[in-house]
Amino acid sequence: MNQQKYADITLLLEGTYPFIRGGVSSWVHQIIQGLPQYTFAIIFLGSKKEDYDEQKYILPDNVVHLECHYLWDPVALAKPKACKGNAEYTRVSEQIHDWFRNPQLNFNHDVLRDFLVSFGQEKGFSAEEFYYSEASWTQICSYYEKYNSQNSFIHYLWTIKAMHAPLFTIANVAHRFSLNTGTFHTISTGFGGVLGVLLHYIWKRPLILTEHGIYTKERKIDLQSIFIKEHRDLFSDPLHMGMQYQELLWIKFFESIGRLIYQASDPIVSLYEANRKRQVDDGACPERTQVIPNGISTENFSSVRMQRTKEIPLVVGLLGRVVPIKDIKTFIRSMKIIVKHIPKAEGWLIGPEDEDKAYVEECKALVHELELDDKVKFLGFRKIHEVLPQLGILVLTSISEAFPLVILEAYASGLPVVATDVGACREIIEGNNEEDRALGSAGMVVSIADPDATARAVIAILTDENRWYQAQKSGIQRIERYYTQSRMLDSYSNIYNQALITK
Amino acid sequence: MAGIGFRLRRLIKSNNLSGLLQAYGFAGIISSGPWVLSIIGVLLIGIINTQDFFTPFFVAQFQISVTYLMAVSLILTSPLQLLLTRFIADKVYENLDDQILPNLNGAIFIVVAASVILAIFCLAFFFTGSIVYRVLMLMGLVILSTIWLVVIVLSGLKAYKVILLAFFLGYGITVLTAIELSVYQLEGLLAGFVLGHSVLLFLLLVIVFRAYPKKKLIAFDFLDLKQIFPSLAITGLLYNLAIWVDKFIFWFNHQTSTEIISPLRGSELYDLPIFLAYLSIIPGMAVFLLRIETDFAEQYKKFYDAINEGCSLEAIHQIYQDMIIAIRRAFLEIFKVQGITVIILLVVGDKLLELVGISPIYQVLLSINLVAVGVQVLLMAALNLLFYFDYRKEALLLCLIFVFSNIALTLLSQYLGPAFYGYGFAVSVLLTTLIGIVLVSTKLNHLIYETFMLR
Repeated sequence: MNQQKYADITLLLEGTYPFIRGGVSSWVHQIIQGLPQYTFAIIFLGSKKEDYDEQKYILPDNVVHLECHYLWDPVALAKPKACKGNAEYTRVSEQIHDWFRNPQLNFNHDVLRDFLVSFGQEKGFSAEEFYYSEASWTQICSYYEKYNSQNSFIHYLWTIKAMHAPLFTIANVAHRFSLNTGTFHTISTGFGGVLGVLLHYIWKRPLILTEHGIYTKERKIDLQSIFIKEHRDLFSDPLHMGMQYQELLWIKFFESIGRLIYQASDPIVSLYEANRKRQVDDGACPERTQVIPNGISTENFSSVRMQRTKEIPLVVGLLGRVVPIKDIKTFIRSMKIIVKHIPKAEGWLIGPEDEDKAYVEECKALVHELELDDKVKFLGFRKIHEVLPQLGILVLTSISEAFPLVILEAYASGLPVVATDVGACREIIEGNNEEDRALGSAGMVVSIADPDATARAVIAILTDENRWYQAQKSGIQRIERYYTQSRMLDSYSNIYNQALITK
Repeated sequence: MAGIGFRLRRLIKSNNLSGLLQAYGFAGIISSGPWVLSIIGVLLIGIINTQDFFTPFFVAQFQISVTYLMAVSLILTSPLQLLLTRFIADKVYENLDDQILPNLNGAIFIVVAASVILAIFCLAFFFTGSIVYRVLMLMGLVILSTIWLVVIVLSGLKAYKVILLAFFLGYGITVLTAIELSVYQLEGLLAGFVLGHSVLLFLLLVIVFRAYPKKKLIAFDFLDLKQIFPSLAITGLLYNLAIWVDKFIFWFNHQTSTEIISPLRGSELYDLPIFLAYLSIIPGMAVFLLRIETDFAEQYKKFYDAINEGCSLEAIHQIYQDMIIAIRRAFLEIFKVQGITVIILLVVGDKLLELVGISPIYQVLLSINLVAVGVQVLLMAALNLLFYFDYRKEALLLCLIFVFSNIALTLLSQYLGPAFYGYGFAVSVLLTTLIGIVLVSTKLNHLIYETFMLR
């Protein structure tokens, strides 16, 4: 990759491609590879440098630039020094915060833009001013009195300071970015989205937003798992009540920056209808929203389908990273029930285990505890084309998903699917509209964290050959009609063209 | 002084008048302890040896020798005083008690080495007097310097009764041997001084060594820049310099001084009133110890606990107000009590002088010095608060002002003539104290903001 001065599209990627494998990363790789007529630049935003190993993807030739920044690295600040602070910035910041709380307010967005462009700059609203000035102190106190007056002040203050820190890092990244770009494309709201907003305002180039999941909801789950990790012994910790409101502060924060990002983005793309509605509820302008489902190239899979044995393999597969959000433990528990009914059945966990090693250990311990040692196998990362023909059914127990590509891949390889009722799963399995539903169900949808229901669904399909073949047929038909890669690439090609000709 | 504070608080909480008086009594003696006792001791030796208003010359030689020993040892150890105080407080806070003794030994090692080298150099090249006298001076300097260091560590201990006993014993021996050995004149008195202080140092060392765990013999962590605040060394030095600099100016101006024992010069007119005046600060120091180290320290702890334990801002403000009230009350009470003391002494001063057989010509200078040292108690309170809130830069600034104003104003007072003697020091203390109070008050006004936003 030779670093150049221009890229058609700069992708803003928070904690995904090219360092972490997963649905979003494969999607990004697919887009870059599938649209070789464009050049891409990548800004990767990570948490801390040590959280990431080497690149997990070989960057295609049309990626001309990659830079990485880490949000939890401490912000470079001058030594603490008392200062008055700028009343004008405080006033605007107050307006913006009021708008976050009450989006109906009439709000001058030029003011917002000017403020954001000056944010974190030495001549503008500097980080020092935020962290040290009397003006910002007064403002923080007054918000505290107004909205949180009974809670621990020091925790409130540190939460406020901590949540603004990445914003200053992002502002520096945005102002230092020097590559000429046709359009910016952020693949989430959150911090990546904020970077997009700043770049959009600084470079005056369009910002495209594609949301795979629901950022706020995913962060909520993150926060809860951090909370549980840090406060295992709730009864001995007098601050545990405090944590709940700090968590609320963070969620409010992500909602607020989400609003900021919707405000600046056009178009606002989601993967499926339910998510588009949610975006509109959260403040996205309905006219700007559109749905572009994921797609895969089905041609590659015809050979995979050929490898299938006549007999249905009694192998229940889960493809995905071994992380809490995938709720691997529910899968393991359901395997206990499945094995009871189908003694020959096996459960395979296929996916990288390097992201949350503690959780992997917990899962392995659970397998041992349930005496499933020779029934549930941790296979690590495997080539999907090799592993899919060996499965009899694909299971997805995630407590949160956006649009799992793995379901499409399962369809293409002729595999029925049992998935939890999250994200686009129901739409993909049962169909989105009348016409789609007429194709029949390609598996079953169950509720989250329900090992019994999951096991029942798996048993029902695996033990009923007719049903299995019907589901396989529905899946293949559905994907060929609605979820092909060419369909998806065409849609993005249109969006990019549109953005690139914008003056 | 934290340990003393707790015991005093218990005494106060008994809530009856005799308990309160007892508490003030303890406080007064403890806080001004070594300082006042040594002045009393030296004066006592002078009075004992005085017959019919005639004091032999060797007594004056002894007094000036001891005064120089005090001044030099205090200034010599001053860079370590605040530094070590803070270092030990931090170690106690971090529960690293076993680091205290090794570091005390390290500090003693440095101070002994420095004072021996300094003393040998000065005594060999500049001093007159017998070999015995010079050797006693050397011993005196080493012992006094070591005592000032040990006292720092001691102040963290609760065993203040034993400490007080050690002081009485040490000074008792000093005075008694001085009486017995006065036939040997200067050498006799000085030998008594050295003996008494050796006993005192020995007792204090026993107390300290029994109180703290010892794992290592010696350590120099207090010189490790990562563990200390170097500005405290400068602040300590400046403060002690400031207290002594006007005396040195008077001693080395040939118009205001005479040679007592070459090369030591003294200012008969200037010295006695100031040392007498320092005896008057006992009541003020008692209030200081009680209100700052006890009442205020309690509020101070509450304040930081409230912050760290996650109280609401409203509660923090409430406790902050209580703390401010405690500070205000402390200043007001020091002002009142020391003020009344000064007024009484101003009125009856000449009679008192007459009573102890000191010439009434000292009366005018004594009056000025009474006011000056009274105000100095307020200055100490202000400095102490700056240290409590870790405003090290401001404390340094204040001591800098103190030194330079004292130099400038003392020189000015000499230029203006004998009628103005004493005013230099007095005005310097007053000026520094006023600035100190303003500094404390502005810093405290912004305390919550600075604590949360700048720390």
